[in-house]
Amino acid sequence: METTAATRAVTHILPGKVGVWWFLASEVMLFGGLIGSFIVSRLGSSGWSGEAAHLSVPVAAINTLVLLTSSMTMVMAFGAVEKGDPRGLRTYLFLTVLLGLTFLGIKAYEYSSEVAAGFTPVTGLFWSFYYTMTGLHALHVLAGIITNLALFVMARRGLRNQHRVELAGLYWHFVDIVWIFLFPLLYLT
Amino acid sequence: MTTERARPNYVAVWVWLVVLMIAGVLASYLPFAKSAVIFLVFVIAAMKALLVALYYMHLKFESRLIYAMAIVPVVLVIGLTFLLFPDLVFHH
Amino acid sequence: MSATTVHGHAAHAEHEHHDLGFIRTYVFSTDHKMIAKQFLFMGLFMLIIGGALALVVRWQLAWPETPVPGLGMILTETGGVIEPSHYNMAFTMHATIMIFFVVMPILAGAFGNFLIPLQIGARDMAFPTLNMLSFWTTFPAALIMIAGFFVPGGHAAAGWTSYTPLSSVAQYTGVNWGQNLWCISLFVMGVGSMMGSINYITTIINMRAPGMSLFRMPLALWSLFITAILLLLALPVLTSAAAMLLFDRTLGTNWFNPSQGGEPLLWQHLFWYFGHPEVYILILPAMGIASEILPVFCRKPIFGYHAMAFSMIGIAFLSWIVYGHHMFVSGMNPMLGLTFTITTMIIAVPSAIKTFNWLGTLWGGRITFPPPMLFALGFVSMFVIGGLSGIFMASTPVDIYIQDTYFIVAHIHYVVFGGSIMGAFAAIYFWFPKMFGRMTNNALGHVHFWLTIVAFNVTFFPMHIIGVGGQMRRIYNPMQYEFLQHQQHWNVIMTVGALVLGFSQILFAINFLMSIASGKKAPANPWNANTLEWLAESPPPHLNWGPRIPTVYRGPYEYSSPEGPEDWLPQDRLVVASSS
Repeated sequence: METTAATRAVTHILPGKVGVWWFLASEVMLFGGLIGSFIVSRLGSSGWSGEAAHLSVPVAAINTLVLLTSSMTMVMAFGAVEKGDPRGLRTYLFLTVLLGLTFLGIKAYEYSSEVAAGFTPVTGLFWSFYYTMTGLHALHVLAGIITNLALFVMARRGLRNQHRVELAGLYWHFVDIVWIFLFPLLYLT
Repeated sequence: MTTERARPNYVAVWVWLVVLMIAGVLASYLPFAKSAVIFLVFVIAAMKALLVALYYMHLKFESRLIYAMAIVPVVLVIGLTFLLFPDLVFHH
Repeated sequence: MSATTVHGHAAHAEHEHHDLGFIRTYVFSTDHKMIAKQFLFMGLFMLIIGGALALVVRWQLAWPETPVPGLGMILTETGGVIEPSHYNMAFTMHATIMIFFVVMPILAGAFGNFLIPLQIGARDMAFPTLNMLSFWTTFPAALIMIAGFFVPGGHAAAGWTSYTPLSSVAQYTGVNWGQNLWCISLFVMGVGSMMGSINYITTIINMRAPGMSLFRMPLALWSLFITAILLLLALPVLTSAAAMLLFDRTLGTNWFNPSQGGEPLLWQHLFWYFGHPEVYILILPAMGIASEILPVFCRKPIFGYHAMAFSMIGIAFLSWIVYGHHMFVSGMNPMLGLTFTITTMIIAVPSAIKTFNWLGTLWGGRITFPPPMLFALGFVSMFVIGGLSGIFMASTPVDIYIQDTYFIVAHIHYVVFGGSIMGAFAAIYFWFPKMFGRMTNNALGHVHFWLTIVAFNVTFFPMHIIGVGGQMRRIYNPMQYEFLQHQQHWNVIMTVGALVLGFSQILFAINFLMSIASGKKAPANPWNANTLEWLAESPPPHLNWGPRIPTVYRGPYEYSSPEGPEDWLPQDRLVVASSS
């Protein structure tokens, strides 16, 4: 008897998971286009390390730590759901949202100090890349925060949404991976 | 609908991520040739990304289909970057 | 997991077909068949606009600087004469609309949506709500694109390929908001397409009926599957490039501005990295459709099923590494020229394999020629011509001569019109009974075909000739060039052909609309075909199948099989003596 897509999944992978991984594939292409262009532009030009010197490595390193930790709390949230621990789920989702907001806050601080120092997206090609890539990334972080917040609200109402936590987690980890590459590319080279 | 699977130690992975991050920051201050430093920093970043992908995203425990979905776009992006080299790096 | 799984209280499927009201049944429907029709109607409407723009271009080329009938009301200052700036807008928007808002919505949007669940034996797509959103993202994108015509400065006029710095500096074209809206529209369209792709891929991977292994899938599904993967991976690259272009234009960044350290060629690389997979996105569904239709009207299996599937996979892989053949004369590094020549020659091989297999399918068949078959045969023959001209262009030294001439325009139209659009017509005629529950008018269909194919060749074949004769692409007035004046008569012939071609489509419109309203009621399987969609009623009810979804026992092309009494053997029929 025909029932939900889940039990008929030919590959026994839930359709949501297949869908999210394909979505992430498209996101890899999106960021990849920009990252690839940045790498070759960086290598083909000179003096960008001079521009990059105006970025604050310590601040960004802290931000990287924040995002890495939020990745851990996200996967712990998933672990809590697998264990059937609703309180753990709520706690870890809350922490993830908090850390995500912290990341955005620090980024906003960075942007404002850079703009105040006279570095806007039109100051030079390095800065165009910097603002676009981190800006696009920040938008993705924001979308993730909103999703996680929605899950947190659902968790508080006691809804069973373990699979959604896994899917949201996949997206959140991807956003973390993008930053793992953006940080060294922009700040450390 | 989640399967029984060996759960990786998420905290241990986090520790490694932090260690690698610090290593990457320190590496960028090394007094070696610029391109060597860039290469090293990039390798460290790739290792961190792999840790997140394999353990946090559970790619290590997923089917080959999912693994293929993850790998193909990465290959395409690397391909695109290399194809851009002749015109944007080696200004001919 | 997904809130949108289709629940199967299938026993009450028909009664439960909940009175959702007009809006949720016809406007924000989540039923893949309704969404398919929405894409189809949108695409056909945009075809009229794109076609009208082509006629404007053709008029100007044949009778330069003479008033175009009907344009006097719009172009009041010139009395209906097209100026160079309008001309640039016309050819730019003709191509943009045709590629993004006609071919993709009809082939991938309409037929992808319609066929995928039906041919795999599913009740709907994996994510029906996402499906609805995908149409309702694409449609606003079309509106944004149309809006560009009405802004000061007019619409984008830098070619559909939008090369920088022509497109990134507003003074060069005189276009301001038009080009920005172009970027925004493509961004939105990209999001809609990607939603659709995720749906198609997940549905095909996960929701096939019992017994339908990947290699028992109809080739139309293979083509749509591969097309969806290409779309998903290629469109984001266009998105990032379009964002960079938009920022250069509006924010003052300088990605493509050489005087500030930017590189105009970067646009071409990014655009064509997307652009070449894009052209395979345009043609693959049509190839799949031809592979569906030919066996039905030859009463023979498709020749070389596995080769057909693998060649499409091969085309998909290779499509990423051939894009530089669009850039042979761009000034890119000559090293790349040789590389791309080789890869482009290689990619001709899978297409050739498919062509030979279509011929092999026809060989020895009991062929009949209703309109779907005529258009499918038209597809194969016109696509071959287009493909052959492609082989010339693959060679860098030859391309240096013919690039940006009408030889290229000929190639484009043989593959996209002669290929994709003919495939689209074939599909419409073939699946019309299933979609709308009515038969089309056979006589009108025949007349439509013959007028189309003759007028098509009159319009586009001479482009090979004038292209080699030196007529450049995208020029406003060939008569300004002495060396072109001797071949101007071809331009006149082609425009006459184009006018006939354009107006012949009125017959199609009449047939299409009248048949929906009052065509003969269609049986479930008017063509005696094997694939699963023909098991359902015409049109299929909500949730497609009755209480039980079909079980599949064999591949889709068992025509004239010794196992059955008739010359067709549906995929779901259990044959007692042997079950494959």
